Amino acid sequence: MEATTYNYKVVRQFAIMTVVWGIVGMLVGVILAAQLIWPDLTFGIEWLSYGRLRPLHTNAVIFAFGGSGLFAVSYYIVQRTCQTRLWAAPLAAFTFWGWMAVIVLAAVTLPLGYTSSKEYAELEWPIDLLITAVWVAYALVFFGTIVKRKTKHIYVSNWFFGAYILTIAILHIVNSMELPVTLTKSYSMYAGVQDAMVQWWYGHNAVGFFLTTAFLGMMYYFIPKQAGRPIYSYRLSVVHFWSLNFIYMWAGPHHLQYTALPDWAQSLGMVFSLMLLAPSWGGMMNGIMTLSGAWHKLRTDPILKFLVTALSFYGMSTFEGPMMSIKTVNALSHYTEWTIGHVHSGALGWVAMITIGSMYYLIPRLFGRESMYSTKLIEWHFWWSTIGVVLYIASMWIAGVAQGLMWRAANADGTLTYSFAQVLNTMYPFYGIRLAGGALFFSGMLLMAYNVWQTVRAGRVVNDAPIPQAVHA
Amino acid sequence: MDSGTLSGIVTAVFILVFIGIVWWAYSKGNKQRFEDAGKLPFDEDDSQGKPSSRDITPGKQGDKQ
Repeated sequence: MEATTYNYKVVRQFAIMTVVWGIVGMLVGVILAAQLIWPDLTFGIEWLSYGRLRPLHTNAVIFAFGGSGLFAVSYYIVQRTCQTRLWAAPLAAFTFWGWMAVIVLAAVTLPLGYTSSKEYAELEWPIDLLITAVWVAYALVFFGTIVKRKTKHIYVSNWFFGAYILTIAILHIVNSMELPVTLTKSYSMYAGVQDAMVQWWYGHNAVGFFLTTAFLGMMYYFIPKQAGRPIYSYRLSVVHFWSLNFIYMWAGPHHLQYTALPDWAQSLGMVFSLMLLAPSWGGMMNGIMTLSGAWHKLRTDPILKFLVTALSFYGMSTFEGPMMSIKTVNALSHYTEWTIGHVHSGALGWVAMITIGSMYYLIPRLFGRESMYSTKLIEWHFWWSTIGVVLYIASMWIAGVAQGLMWRAANADGTLTYSFAQVLNTMYPFYGIRLAGGALFFSGMLLMAYNVWQTVRAGRVVNDAPIPQAVHA
Repeated sequence: MDSGTLSGIVTAVFILVFIGIVWWAYSKGNKQRFEDAGKLPFDEDDSQGKPSSRDITPGKQGDKQ
């Protein structure tokens, strides 16, 4: 018999875990920011040392918080825009429990010091295999649902999700090629500059396809829904999709400017990074212009504020990124706090805010309520987050530029003007401001948790959301 | 063929592909199709089974000029 309702169970599970992992991941971030000011904060316990916690933070915020959010919205959007129930419910359930297992294993092994030492791909080989299994199941569920869709067209969000699922599979498998030695130790198949290039091809496309393409899929659904009008230009979104995905693939070498990487590859990375500005801003404009004629909604609707502010930060960081990839700018910015500021402008400003906005849209609908428990709290959350990000990135910009200038300053006889310790000393006030900004953003997540808790408590689990039966295909 | 010629050819092919995509996206014949696709998020009831008052406010969007 044809299913008459959507599968909301797996969406609900991932949506709740998005909030939970957001809090965990950002708390670790706040601890790390404090450790940079007070290195003895965790009493020298090795499991809590900076080097162990840092990969835990990045994995938790990207793959646990961001990943859960993406599972939730992609499962929700693909069902609703294909007007069909999610294909293969047991496989979908496996992706939830499998992904949670990956996260828990990461939270245990990273503090214990088990690492393949590849940035954003630190997890050891047994976990890599589990990720692969979950991801294949995810692809089957997602594309299976697309195949059995009741609508004629495939909505643009699903194109973005499809590209993300496919590319992440390729990136993960190629970059994680490794030779296991014991259960907890493996060595990468690549060595030297090839290893670096594969790593940053992976690393940058993790940013490009996990943190950008996929979240654009979120943007293309929730901004039109929350604004109550279709996307400004669907045709622009088609051009946006193809050009963004094509260009992103080649931008990785900008992480390796002035290294042993061949010069032509460095220049290639720079040129493609500069070209990325066009599709990135095209997509941003498309999202923002969707509000044309409905700008007044921004005044009263904090969910829309989250979504549109996220797009603004997306525009800022996709301008900043190409600029930082220019070799002469990179000579100043690389290895400084500026990079950290840039990353968080994208991660907190774009990824986290678009996710938070989407969750505020989604969660009441999954629990049978018209809206969240408190709109006032969403408003507060919005302002805490915005002020938090601004404090964070502004302090890191100033710190980074100062750091870069001090490192390169030389005396007439060629000796360095400043010692490393002197530069570090200059950083303290900015580390303090960054900690305040990060803590503010983290506190906003606690507001969200309370709001979600109250919404869920007063709501009911929705498992009977009907699939429209008037099919126009 | 040296690598310079090859990159020249590849660049030319990529430019043509890009122009092809723009032409395909903006051609008159595909206008209706993409407009329909753009309305997909609104061809549905909301989660409670009744249409949301917020869904669809008609307006002048970029594609309809």
